[in-house]
Amino acid sequence: MSHGRTRITQTGLLVLALLAALAPVYWMLTISLKIERDQFAYPPKWFSFTPTLQHYYEAFVTRSFAQYLITSAIVAVISTACALVVGTLAAYALTRFRLPYNLDRKLSLWILSTRMFPAIVTAVPLFLMMRDLRLLNTRASLIVVYTAFNLPFVVWMMRGFFAEVPRDLEEAALVDGDSRLGALVRVVLPLVSPGLAATAVFCLIVSWNEFLFALVLTQTDAAMTLPVGIAGRVTQYEIKWGVMSAAGAVAMMPILIFALAMQRYLVRGLSLGAVKG
Amino acid sequence: MVLLALSIYPLLYSITVSLQQETASGIAWSLTHFKRLATDNFFRTAMVHTFVYAIAALTCEFVLGLALALLSNQQIRGRGVFRASLLVPMMLPTVVVGVVWRLLLNPNFGAINGTLKQLGINTESLTWTASPRLAFLAVIAVDVWQWTPFVFLVLLAGLQAIPQEPYEAALIDGSSRWQTFRHVTLPLLKPAILIVLLLRTMDLLRVFDQIFILTEGGPGFATEMISLYIYRTAFRFFDFGYAAAMSFVLLALTNIVSVVYIRFLQTKEE
Repeated sequence: MSHGRTRITQTGLLVLALLAALAPVYWMLTISLKIERDQFAYPPKWFSFTPTLQHYYEAFVTRSFAQYLITSAIVAVISTACALVVGTLAAYALTRFRLPYNLDRKLSLWILSTRMFPAIVTAVPLFLMMRDLRLLNTRASLIVVYTAFNLPFVVWMMRGFFAEVPRDLEEAALVDGDSRLGALVRVVLPLVSPGLAATAVFCLIVSWNEFLFALVLTQTDAAMTLPVGIAGRVTQYEIKWGVMSAAGAVAMMPILIFALAMQRYLVRGLSLGAVKG
Repeated sequence: MVLLALSIYPLLYSITVSLQQETASGIAWSLTHFKRLATDNFFRTAMVHTFVYAIAALTCEFVLGLALALLSNQQIRGRGVFRASLLVPMMLPTVVVGVVWRLLLNPNFGAINGTLKQLGINTESLTWTASPRLAFLAVIAVDVWQWTPFVFLVLLAGLQAIPQEPYEAALIDGSSRWQTFRHVTLPLLKPAILIVLLLRTMDLLRVFDQIFILTEGGPGFATEMISLYIYRTAFRFFDFGYAAAMSFVLLALTNIVSVVYIRFLQTKEE
């Protein structure tokens, strides 16, 4: 009897947590679909309202959110690709060769520390550097910065995945006359491909969501990413709630799809490989 | 090497910026910026806010996350759905988190006040982001909402990695539930706890995005954090030297905190 009751309380609490996690996001989605009168209605309309796509139309056709979206996508994809190529090679080298002076251990610690760095600390010097290089308000500046910040993460994660691959396999390939690079591409990479995919998705998410550097480095419509575009609308005096919610909903969709697809690896990625959940 | 260049160079660059001062005759080396730090009340307030914020949010996230992890660490129906749904808040772009909560907290048409009113609660004084105290609570709540799931998932993974034997032994010894938790679960969970606390502390100390969207540090100075103050100094007042000097203090602080955590972690592993 008391067992049954704890069971019910337990389920109740978990359902409550679930609601608390999802209801706010659901509310934003409803706002993005409501006509203005319903947005301001009291009591709040959670379910019964006539959906409309007018805010999506306004955001992405009459305003420049479509352009921000394209910028975000370009920046995220190119910087992820760069970080993956360089980072994978570096990680492979770190797991297979010994560096002198115990340097590889120190390198790992240092890679970890870049991850914890407060972003604002580098934002100021980066802004000044990009200004001197005349790269402010360009996509290139964001691509460079995101590549640099994803790189340590890629090295760190891929090192973990490479360490799990037995060496005998590639040594067989090396004996058969493959080059190091050939062995890496033909033998090792296929084995770590799930890890590689997870790392890639992770970099994509980080670059897509990133806000501070984008805010500092891009201020023009042509170079702005989606988060900066949304933020620009939020802090103005008269806020178009529907447009903003529509843009927010579009900004979160690709991330949620990716995140759910990569569920298994997400916790590992977020905890820097410390938890293999 | 490229990596080295890209992350060391900005640092060196900002050291020079923080030590230079533009004078009438050009640029001179000086400690002015660092001296100003010592007397800047705004900086001190922002610092206090950041630490209070970090400690409060961390405590809530940890307690809630641990409770949820303990609750769901057994076979229950729909655990997959539960885990997947909890991923939603933490994966959202922080800007979207800001938007979501601005919609909820709006005193006039936000869902929170609307719902409270339906329940018969007087919401006139609940102006959230317009009142200093409530705004501070709100920014803490937002972080708790977004990151408790992360704490939960890491701790749950940690719990599931604990073998059954110690629990059986505790059962045979006749320990109470609390004793089992205190002497079996907690020590074995310690590495996971430390990792998650370390990561969250670092994130909390550098918080920027959500607060920038939600309150911009306001009303007045009520939710100003170090990162926001540095941002304002650098990009609104274009005082890069002073901003760089403040960055150093923030960097030094986060470094000290992380070193302390890592020490703890290493002594546990040995």
